[in-house]
Parts: sequence; C-alpha cells; structure tokens
Amino acid sequence: MKRSGVIWSWFWMILGILYFFLPLLATFLFSLRAELGHLGFKAYTNVFSDPQFQIKFPASILWAVLTIIVAIVLFVPTAYWVRLKVPQARSAVELITLLPFVIPAIVYVFGLVRTFSQPPLLIVNSPGLLIAGYTVLSMPYMYRAIDTGLRAIDVRTLTEAAQSLGAGWGTILFRVIFPNIRVSILSGAFLSFAIVMGEYTLAQYLAKPAFAPYIALLIQNKAYEPAAATIISFALIWACMGIIQLIGGGEQGQVTGGH
Amino acid sequence: MTHLKLSNISKEYSGTIVVQDFNLDVEQGEFISFLGPSGCGKTTTLRMVAGFETPTTGTITINGEDITNNAPNQRNVGMIFQAYALFPNMTVAQNIGFGLRIRKESETVIKDRVAEMLSLIHLENKANSYPYQLSGGQQQRVALARALANQPQVLLLDEPLSALDAKIRVQLRSEIRAIQKKMGITAIFVTHDQEEALSISDRIVVMYEGRMEQVGTPFEIYNFPTTRFVANFVGSLNTADAEVVDPATGLVSMNGIHFESAEGTKDRQKGDKVKIAIRPERFSFASEQRKANVVDSTIENITFLGSVVRIQVKIGNTKFNMDTFNNPFLELPKIGSMEQVTCSREAVLVLDE
Repeated sequence: MKRSGVIWSWFWMILGILYFFLPLLATFLFSLRAELGHLGFKAYTNVFSDPQFQIKFPASILWAVLTIIVAIVLFVPTAYWVRLKVPQARSAVELITLLPFVIPAIVYVFGLVRTFSQPPLLIVNSPGLLIAGYTVLSMPYMYRAIDTGLRAIDVRTLTEAAQSLGAGWGTILFRVIFPNIRVSILSGAFLSFAIVMGEYTLAQYLAKPAFAPYIALLIQNKAYEPAAATIISFALIWACMGIIQLIGGGEQGQVTGGH
Repeated sequence: MTHLKLSNISKEYSGTIVVQDFNLDVEQGEFISFLGPSGCGKTTTLRMVAGFETPTTGTITINGEDITNNAPNQRNVGMIFQAYALFPNMTVAQNIGFGLRIRKESETVIKDRVAEMLSLIHLENKANSYPYQLSGGQQQRVALARALANQPQVLLLDEPLSALDAKIRVQLRSEIRAIQKKMGITAIFVTHDQEEALSISDRIVVMYEGRMEQVGTPFEIYNFPTTRFVANFVGSLNTADAEVVDPATGLVSMNGIHFESAEGTKDRQKGDKVKIAIRPERFSFASEQRKANVVDSTIENITFLGSVVRIQVKIGNTKFNMDTFNNPFLELPKIGSMEQVTCSREAVLVLDE
C-alpha cells in the first residue's frame, strides 16, 4: 500500500475512534463531577443505592436471562431443522429473522398491545409477553449466530452418524449439536443480553420494570446520575462483548479444526 | 442363509427414478461393493438400507425382519461416511463409546468395549485425543471402531476412503477388509473406484443409471462382463465395431479382419452388427505356435506406466492398446514397425452394438 494510503487509513480510523470515544469520555468525566470541587464516584454510589435501580436493574437481567433461554429453546431446533430438512426455506427464514431491523420497535409494541389486550389472548400484563417481545427483537442476533455455528459443522452427516448409532432427536440435539455450536449460542446469548439490557420501548410501553426506562427517568430528574447509569450500561455491554471474544477465540480452533 | 435382502427396491424423487428394480441377497459375513459412476444410485441404495431414505417401492429385510419403514436409529446398522463424521466435541474414546452410552450399557462394558475397539484399530494411545488432533486415516479408523462398537447387523461404508491419499487408502482398505472378516460382519461398501471394489469385495454390484448392470465376484465382473457398460467401466477395454460371420464358431469380422470368440455369438445371426471388446492385457505378440486370432498390426506408440508398458497398435484402421508387464530385459518393438499380435478366443468379448 502507498504511504499516502496508510496515512489516510490511520486518519479515518483515528477520526472514527474520536467520534465514538469522545462523547463517552465526556459522559464519563461529567459523571465524576457529582460532588462540587473534585472528581469522584458519588453519582455511581447514588445510582447503586437507589431503590429503583435495585429493582429495575435485576429485573432487566432476569428478562435478559429468560429471553436467552426462550431464544435458545426456540431458535436452535428451528435453525437445525431448517438446515437439515428444509434447506430451501433458509433464505425465507433469514428474511424473517431480519424483520426486527425494519419494523420499528414502537410499531411492534403497539401491535403487541392491540393484539393481546383483548380476548381471546388477554396477556398484555404478563411478563411472558415482554419476554416474547424481547425474543423477537433478539432474533436477528441469536438466530444468525446459531445458523453461523451450524454452518461450521456438517449438520447432516453428524446427525446421520448419531442416528446410525441409535440416537434419537433429543440426544442428537443435546449431545451432538448443542455442544458443537456452544460458542455460537454464547455469542448470540451475550448479544441478546446486551440488546435486552439497553431496550427501552418494549418495557416502557408494556409497563414492566427495566433498566433502560430507568435511565430515561433519571435523565428527567437528575444531572450526573444518568451519565453514571449510561456508563454502567456501556460497561456491562462491553463486558459481554469481551466474554464473547474470550470464549470465541479460545474455542474456534477446536471446532473448525475437526473439519 | 440370506442376511440382508433387498427386494424390488426403487426410489423416485419428484418423478425422477434414481434406483429401479433393485434385488439383492447378501449372505452373513459377505462383503459387497456397489460400484458405479456418480449418480448411478449406489449411495441412494445404501442410504435406503441405513434408513436415511425410504424406498418408493420394495422391501428391505435383515434376518427376515422387515426394516423398510424403521427409523435409522432402530435398525442397528453401522455407517461410515466419507467425511468421517466424528463428533468434534468428543474424544476418540467418547466417540467410540457413544452408541453404547445410548444403549445404556454399564460403564464397565463401555470401557472394555472401547479398549477392545481401540486395540482393533491400533490407536490405544489416542483414546483421549480429539478428532482434530488425528490424521484423516486415523479419523476414519475411529469412525470404523465407533460403528463396530455397537456390533451392528450390517456395516455400511459410503465411500470411506475417498478423502484419503493414495497410500493410506490402500492400507486402510486392507485393514477394513481384515477387520470385517475377523468380526464376520456383513458389509456394503459404496465406491466409484473399480480397483478398490475389485480388491476388497466378495461380490460387486455394478450399477448404472439406477439399475443393477451385473452382480458377480470381482473375477467374474472383470473377466466376463455381461453388458457393454460393465465391460467399459471396469478396467481398460478396446472396443471396435464388428459383424458376425459364423455364429456357430464365434467368428466375427472387423472390416475384413477376423477374430474368433469363445462365446457371445451363439444367440446371434450371421450379419448381426456387434461390438468386440478385448482387454489390453489379453493381447500379446504372436508366437509361431499360435494360429487363432493372429493379426497384423503397426506399432503406433509406446507408453511406460511403471509396472506396465502400454503399446498402441493399429489393426486395420482401428487402434488398440496392448499392455505388457515391464521388466528391465523387455525388448520393445520400434514405433512404426509391423508386428503380429494375438489374443485367445476367450479374450474376445462380443457385446451388443
């Protein structure tokens, strides 16, 4: 590459980093100024000791965990079945999994409220509806992560090998397929976790306790605490990404090396 | 006694017939190869025995029990795949013990059986290795041990050597055959490699366009092909257009050059158009004693193939290949020289045009 090309590459990269990190750094520095005259973690202490935080943050974690469980139970068998039995439907299924990207969350949540606030399925107040909503929103990440994992293994041959050894569908799924796409499932799970922790619209309009509406509420009433809560949220998401990298990097060689 | 029986098997996909009217009786402990070009239906037939495909018509029985509609996991049929299909998340020992665990065998039984299988494939020191730590040949041996650990009624091998290099293939096919004989297990081996099929099988089923072309021992298939396809597909073959001159004596004419055939003309009429087929190794330079099938030829080309020297001769207007074993004292004719070549009456196969 020419020298000028290298310089321009660095220029755009540094510009991108500044664009992303400067606001974050500003938010972080701002969050440290809760006490007049010196920098400190007062805003963070305030957030952590807030009873509302203590209810809504764990609630979001619970929603995220439940969403991940439902998503795994739904999407792993579906992606597996599509690959194994109806590969011709893959493009259609992929299109469906991308719908949450093109349908705004607000449209989706009003659809949910209208549909499920009247008989025969009057479940608008059930946490199940929130989990179902989150599962749909996590679909692009979770399904595609699982599908990518399945692509890396020879699903058909492994299935047939297990069948010829006497295995039924349950054994094949839990002892052959799941362990070999574990990294992909974890990647999808952490992405879904991050999505649920930062999701505002569903929890707000379905009136369920959650972390993102809590931050929105803080913004209306406090100065430094919303900045602290935002940094906490970022830290949590980055921790998830870090774990994905850690697990993914360590396992990659073993899974692909077998082929 | 027939161990595995395939009766009137056919398979159709959306109107396309891929296997038709397939009938085969396999004895206990027999090693059968399905041989044919890609798309001839050999793998489909094997998959129907395994239960991965359901026949459109016909029945499959093992020891008299109809298994045509049984699920693959209820057949006790072991299968070895071209792509090894070892479970990447399990060690070699866990792979071999997988089927036994599904059968809920005791840990002692599993341990003993895995040790026995590891010893059988000479990989005792690899019990705790993962598949990605093994070579292709080792992986396929583990796949064999895994399939045999369950003591299946029939062992199915779907081109198991295709992904291996030439030397390992030869070594592993001998190992497979030795193990199969030792265990007395009935085996069906799918291959498109004629040398593999000829060297390993008790009987070969040659398939073409979904049909069985010929079933026979490797000797029969090679030396007495009954159809033009088998003659062409198995081994090298010289073919030429000819006409029956005397059906009783087996005399045929190739543009005025006469050949005598031991059989193949009895059911034909004088003047019938046929193909004559002669394997390259059945030709030799004529000695003075030989009287039948001695023809003049011109040496066109000589190719050194290692253990064999291939000499191309022109008989009339037709070019034939003639193979002779190489030896350091072999006196080869000059290119362009005239030589008399000959072959026995049995070497001349008369096939439909």
